[in-house]
Amino acid sequence: MAGLGAGMAHAQEKPKGTIPDKPFKIGHMTFFTGAGAVLGEPMYKGNLLAADEINEKGGLLGKRKIEILKADEAAGTDANTKEMRRLKLSEKIDMFMGITSSGNTPALGPVAEELKLLTIFVDGCTDFLFDKAVPNPRYIFRITNIQSADGSTCALGVAMTWPEIKKVAHIHPDYSYGRNCFDHFSIVTKKVLPKAENVSEAWPKLFSTDFTPHITKTLGAKPDLLVTSLWGGDYVAFYKQALQHGLFNKMKVATTLALGSAPQSIGKDHPDGVLSGVHSNYHFTYPGGNRWPLNKTFVEKYHAKFNEYPNFQAEGAYTATYALKTAVEKANKLMGGWPDDDAIISQLEGMMIPGPGGYVYIRPDNHQGYKDAITGFSKQVPEYPFPILDPTRIITIPIRNITAPPGWPKGEPTSTYTWIDQTWPTVKTA
Amino acid sequence: MSAVALRPAATRSPLWIVVWAVPIAAILAVLPWVMDPYRTIQLAYGLIFAIAGLGFNILLGYTGLLSFGHSAYFGVGAYAVAFMVKYLHVQSMELFLIGTIVASLLVTALFGYVCVRYTRIFFSILTLALSQVLWSLAFKFFWVTGGTDGLRVPTPKLLGVATAESEDKIQFLSHSYYYYVLALFVGCVAVMWLIVHSPFGKALQAIRDNETRARFVGIRIRRYRFVAFLVSGVFTAIAGALWVPLNGLTTPDALVWTFSGEIVFMSVLGGFRNFTGPIVGAVVYNYLKDFAVGFTVYWQTVMGVVLVALVLALPTGIVGTAKLLAALARRRFAP
Amino acid sequence: MDILVIHLFNALLYASVLFLIAGGLSLIYGVMRIVNLAHGNLFALGAFITASAVGQWFAGSTSVWLYLLLPLGAFGAAAIGAILEPTLLRPFYRRPEEYQLLVTFGILMILEDVMRFVWGPYPVSATTLFQQMGSMTVGDWIYPRYNLLVIAIGGLAAIFLWAFIYRTNFGILLRATSQDMRRASALGVNVNLVYVQAFTIGCFMAGLGGAIIVPSQSAVLGMGVDALVLSFIVVVVGGLGSLEGALVGAVIVGLLRETAISLFPELELAVLYLIAAIVLLVRPAGLFGRAT
Repeated sequence: MAGLGAGMAHAQEKPKGTIPDKPFKIGHMTFFTGAGAVLGEPMYKGNLLAADEINEKGGLLGKRKIEILKADEAAGTDANTKEMRRLKLSEKIDMFMGITSSGNTPALGPVAEELKLLTIFVDGCTDFLFDKAVPNPRYIFRITNIQSADGSTCALGVAMTWPEIKKVAHIHPDYSYGRNCFDHFSIVTKKVLPKAENVSEAWPKLFSTDFTPHITKTLGAKPDLLVTSLWGGDYVAFYKQALQHGLFNKMKVATTLALGSAPQSIGKDHPDGVLSGVHSNYHFTYPGGNRWPLNKTFVEKYHAKFNEYPNFQAEGAYTATYALKTAVEKANKLMGGWPDDDAIISQLEGMMIPGPGGYVYIRPDNHQGYKDAITGFSKQVPEYPFPILDPTRIITIPIRNITAPPGWPKGEPTSTYTWIDQTWPTVKTA
Repeated sequence: MSAVALRPAATRSPLWIVVWAVPIAAILAVLPWVMDPYRTIQLAYGLIFAIAGLGFNILLGYTGLLSFGHSAYFGVGAYAVAFMVKYLHVQSMELFLIGTIVASLLVTALFGYVCVRYTRIFFSILTLALSQVLWSLAFKFFWVTGGTDGLRVPTPKLLGVATAESEDKIQFLSHSYYYYVLALFVGCVAVMWLIVHSPFGKALQAIRDNETRARFVGIRIRRYRFVAFLVSGVFTAIAGALWVPLNGLTTPDALVWTFSGEIVFMSVLGGFRNFTGPIVGAVVYNYLKDFAVGFTVYWQTVMGVVLVALVLALPTGIVGTAKLLAALARRRFAP
Repeated sequence: MDILVIHLFNALLYASVLFLIAGGLSLIYGVMRIVNLAHGNLFALGAFITASAVGQWFAGSTSVWLYLLLPLGAFGAAAIGAILEPTLLRPFYRRPEEYQLLVTFGILMILEDVMRFVWGPYPVSATTLFQQMGSMTVGDWIYPRYNLLVIAIGGLAAIFLWAFIYRTNFGILLRATSQDMRRASALGVNVNLVYVQAFTIGCFMAGLGGAIIVPSQSAVLGMGVDALVLSFIVVVVGGLGSLEGALVGAVIVGLLRETAISLFPELELAVLYLIAAIVLLVRPAGLFGRAT
């Protein structure tokens, strides 16, 4: 069958040595309830799809079937810490995967290291994790793009499309993701759109449902552009309320994560032409057609199994599961038998793996996955009951252009921020 | 509060407590060598919440004031440790505890001054509202408190001895740290025992049982309530300080009002009219909740049903009901 | 200038919903001396029931029918309240009032899960009415008409409630029971009946708050707990047990929130807690309340 499996192991070779056949347990924690679920729950589905595909062929190395134990991230950071411990010490999971919220990875990363638990975080993309919380990771990895890419991608998208804007308004959820997007949008804009200035800010609490005052405040400031990092259920509530205030007619709107939720959560009423971020990672319509067959088969299989379309979380979890499989196979080829965590880790470090969204490189120094960033413009099309990224206006940015290189010293608020500040030239304007 | 009248424990010989306490302490001391690390860490959490419950119950069981905002003091303890790490680069657990006691005295003095002017439902609501104020401050001032991301607390030095880089943290938590917590638990139990059996403790119970009569006897009601409030807050803050290294992180979740509700739940579960009630309640609650969370996604229903059933049918809690049954058994089988 | 009008509308919108929730809480306390910690979840239930009715079960119906269905959440919440009071709350009237806090806390936990069980983990929305009513022009801006409907309903509810309590016989019974339960009972008032009716009305109000706001937002798990905290701030400011206090408190909170978001965006919610803290330190009974 086509798919990542065929792309990875060149053929189904027999594994070396004896492999135990007890199941390989993955603990998967993401938002299964609440407003975060429209973003988080597809992550589990991506993991499940990959696991089922691998299990159809007998499991990892043909012998160990993958078993997934679910945990709900909505329980809160403290409860999640306890649950990770319980999963490892009591349920004896072999690996941990998941996490949507940036509030949780800095808390759980150190705990995973303490527990010596092999972990691939799918999201929870905050720079803080590898900048400060766990600067020398051993057991933990993260597969989707680092958070600072979001604000930068959005800013560059704005600069390419609407270079004439002068007045910028902001609405960001009041937690680390919102602040990170604001910071990086601002520093990039300082360099590439030096004439632009902030005229309004609003910081609603994450998972609010009423954005009316923030919308009114933004309208009152009469900006040219609104930048927002609202996501999931928040973004849905926001855009529906904003439509009734005519906000989209009065200004351009740029987002970092609008189309990153499960696609069906956004309706047919969403306006076209909004710069719609996908967490800099992936939208299922790109690459389209036969241009990148891995994506075509992934989307088809996901849709067939779950009757919906995948988002970047699903793609991330799917790729992460295959990264695990590849690492296990390579380690086994070198050493025989079931590879221990150290062997798997050494194979993951420096791995370059093709996923449905493109090539992902796992940098060995900080265990962070890097892939080219994309964003685009929302467009309603007859084929789908929700908006997609306009295939004629996709913007891709090489990831090395917007994230700090290996060896760049850690900085405040992030190393990418200081790198942009210190190394990027300021665009000269007439 | 007019609840079921139980024979006050003071009429028993003080040696009675030793009969129970020594074997239990011995068992607790041996457990890490017998149980797996996960269960030992669970028990450490239980002992910590037992200290919080002890603190809480001097207000409820002995003074008759139901505080629905005790998460505030727990959080003060937790954040005191985190701030000492962040701003003073302290690593010693002992210094953490001293800092916690100081910080909690300040906060409880302020809150207590406001709250003890009132009683009953109004007191409860005030405590709840004040704890939410603290929560919102922790949430909003993210450049100080780390906001929802919280503040990291690395492994502390116990008694000046740092854990080696190579030592397994789980091993540390389930052995060295467990014993530290156990020692403090025993200490807190002893101190609280002395407090409630002292004239001060007796005065509190008099105030609880009949405020007017207590006033006529000459007890300064508000002052005694205030001191009880202080003691209560400090004990709970100590629990908070001990709790942080277990998680390695403190977030505003430690201050949220539903956590206060859990503290109340624990004491009621064990039986708030008994000294040992909150201890038993905290340990049982901890296991019960972990079991429920692992068992079903509808664990809140499980806990809610337990609480409602408890208050309906067994208002004296586990220990209270056990004593009742023991008394009945004695009467049945007495000559 | 007209932007100020819009800000005022926003504040009144928020205040309308808060008044309904906090008013219900205050009413229940005033008559029965119970602080219903599960009150926020009745607001949430009202939201979910209406969202299901308007957004799912009868979606696509004519708008007239949808408008009539709007209060369904309120009636649903009232029905649940009418069941809860005699079964789970009445056994505690003879008990110390602290037990009531515990029972309502337990009910809060159970109701959270009931909502998850019945409606699943995802938010439920019902935006048809919100969109259908369209927007009207206010100076340079457009404003959703539906928000004005919510403000109107809030205002009407306040008037009806006032009339009900001060101009009807039942209101007299309610006030008598709230002032002195024993004497009212001695005079022949069926206190149990008054209690269940008061509780039902309080739940109706909370459910109505949820029902009318859900078309412009959505019903999300956890909204009940958030709402309870906000309604607590309102009763702290306005005074527990007082309907005028709930109204004034709600308006103050609505105005403060709007001002904070406009002028001090970093503070937002913290401003509300700060006001609560100040009121608690200076006048703990609130503006219109009387402390025990």
